[in-house]
Amino acid sequence: MIEQDVVCPFCGCLCDDLEIETDGARIVRVKNGCSLAEATFMNDTRLPAPIRRTEAGWEEISYDEAISETAEILREADRPLLYGWSSTHGETQSIGVHIAELIGAVIDNTSTVCHGPSILAIQEVGHPGCTLGQVKNRADVIIYWGCNPVEAHPRHMSRYTTFATGFFVPEAQRERTVIVVDTRRTDTTNIADEFVQIEHGGDYAVLSALRAIVRGKAHVIPASVAGVAKEQLVRIAEICKNAKFGAIFFGLGLTMSRGKYKNVRNAIELTDELSRHTKFVISPLRGHGNVYGSNEVFTWMTGYPFAVDFARGIAFYNPGETTAVDILRRGECDAALIVASDPGANFPRAAAAHLAKIPTVVIDPHVNATTALSRIHIPCTAAGIDAAGTAYRMDGIPIRLKKVIDRGYPDDAEILRKIYDRLDGGMGP
Amino acid sequence: MRVILESKVRKKPSLPIEAEAIIPRNFLKGTDLVVFEGNKERTLSELFWIFVEGTAVSPENIEVVLKGDTSRIKRVGEYMDTGTILIEGDIGMHCGNFMSGGTIEIRGSADAWLGREMRGGTIVCRGNAGHYCATGYRGEKKGMQGGTVEVFGNAGDFCAEYLAGGTVHIHGHTGDFPGVEMRGGELLIEGDATRPCGNMKNGSCVILGTVHDLLPTFEKSGTHLLPERNLEMDVYTGDVANRGKGTMMVASRALRR
Ligand code: SF4
Repeated sequence: MIEQDVVCPFCGCLCDDLEIETDGARIVRVKNGCSLAEATFMNDTRLPAPIRRTEAGWEEISYDEAISETAEILREADRPLLYGWSSTHGETQSIGVHIAELIGAVIDNTSTVCHGPSILAIQEVGHPGCTLGQVKNRADVIIYWGCNPVEAHPRHMSRYTTFATGFFVPEAQRERTVIVVDTRRTDTTNIADEFVQIEHGGDYAVLSALRAIVRGKAHVIPASVAGVAKEQLVRIAEICKNAKFGAIFFGLGLTMSRGKYKNVRNAIELTDELSRHTKFVISPLRGHGNVYGSNEVFTWMTGYPFAVDFARGIAFYNPGETTAVDILRRGECDAALIVASDPGANFPRAAAAHLAKIPTVVIDPHVNATTALSRIHIPCTAAGIDAAGTAYRMDGIPIRLKKVIDRGYPDDAEILRKIYDRLDGGMGP
Repeated sequence: MRVILESKVRKKPSLPIEAEAIIPRNFLKGTDLVVFEGNKERTLSELFWIFVEGTAVSPENIEVVLKGDTSRIKRVGEYMDTGTILIEGDIGMHCGNFMSGGTIEIRGSADAWLGREMRGGTIVCRGNAGHYCATGYRGEKKGMQGGTVEVFGNAGDFCAEYLAGGTVHIHGHTGDFPGVEMRGGELLIEGDATRPCGNMKNGSCVILGTVHDLLPTFEKSGTHLLPERNLEMDVYTGDVANRGKGTMMVASRALRR
């Protein structure tokens, strides 16, 4: 069977034009997707059944047993941490928030290690953004700052920017100027019309210098800023001011390098400054398929997009204090539930090590590095492959993920609902 | 009156305690106060040995002394308006949040957000202070607005972010971005500083040590002699990335771009 218009759940682009051929419960061909999409749909090796760690090694247990034991672990905890959420659908995320409120937990999503700083910056100065459709149809100057979409979001350029034909930019490749800012050469910098190579940690200074130049204060700027010649900065400021419509996309090179949210804030304020001359927008290139959705769901339900602490029964938010990495690094939490993510692979060592010291339960379709740190791993459906649900694209557009096949696994929302039911009526701060 | 709170040994010593109830005024009515350990409500006596010496008729005569392992206790002195708190060791985050009067002395080091959004009063920290010393809450446009914070050791990153009033005096070094987004008040750093005063709008910052990575958007406007220290200072105006009416003075001998 061939299914049209399938959404790829892998990265924040959520490309919704895939064609997938299935043979019963097996996917046999993926069309239109990039290599990451192909790997997502074709190399989908699952954990067959729930497992529990024993002295002698792993043993298979029933779903019912795994769910009861997870509820028990969460009930006992004085400071449980619920982390992950970015690779599953909104329905699961919302049950996660309900559980956090019920048991006085901290709930955090993967923004904490990707675009959390972007959110902090947006909370300080706002977000002059737009949908990807606007960029596709209008932008004649594109800036990629601290990101490598050719490898991380392979279809971003062909669907929305450099190579995409737009209504007001019919000859995209000729009409769009692409500026790439990075600390090193990448496949994306090779496509750029203008490559700005800055020294490590120099983003803030370069952004400040650009703001000053756009404000007419070029005379203050020294001959070179973080390895970038003043002439190049002046030239870039001119290109931007003369754009019909400019769009800045930024990645972890900006959010996770020295200065973090202050870098992003500076980039937003540059966007603001440029909008006094023309129309400029800025947006983060979100990584996980539904990480934006986790921010949305958390915000509707708690008022805050990530790092929400329910220990006192009300939502409290303070990144640096209530963020998963910090709570783990300080050894605060005494139980953890990890859903649809892999902190074992990408958290700092000290934080990941604490997961191994406390009872950690993983709910994820696949075996990953966190499995090795956990006590129980419960397999489930993968959103967008064998489960339908809502996800948010990187520009905040909700898109319905489709269920393409049925592999007989329970939905993670169903597993969490059962955990919630077993906890209900019990505790709370 | 003196109230001595000595922390008891806990089964899970890493669990944070939230103790905004620990302010001198609250002890006028006794010691029957509530704090939180993780997600559990506890009475003060579950977590501390409590000793009360003497009596008091008004809160300004109350001194609260914290002893033992107090490094995980957050929000001590929150909304404090009078009296004294003496912390013999280290203290957890948010000590002196929104404080408007009185004195807090910390003999050890303080964790992050010391004196957050302080309005008045005095905080003296004999050890080091963590990140966000004398700043505001996330997204808050005004950080500390009045009072004095003095740290004898070093301070972490983002010290005095959004400083809007009052005085912050760091005897040691600061981390990255001290005085970032400053819009008023005075910041004095006797040690070194990295990228000070980014995006500053107003206020004044004096740095006696070495400045690392001075931002390119500060305009040198002259020199100034600090007679009490016999130091010539370079005077900068900025940050010209915005309206830039702040003053930053850096000891001339120590400047590094
Ligand atoms: S660009 Fe992202 S969403 Fe689109 S097909 Fe590739 S991995 Fe999937």
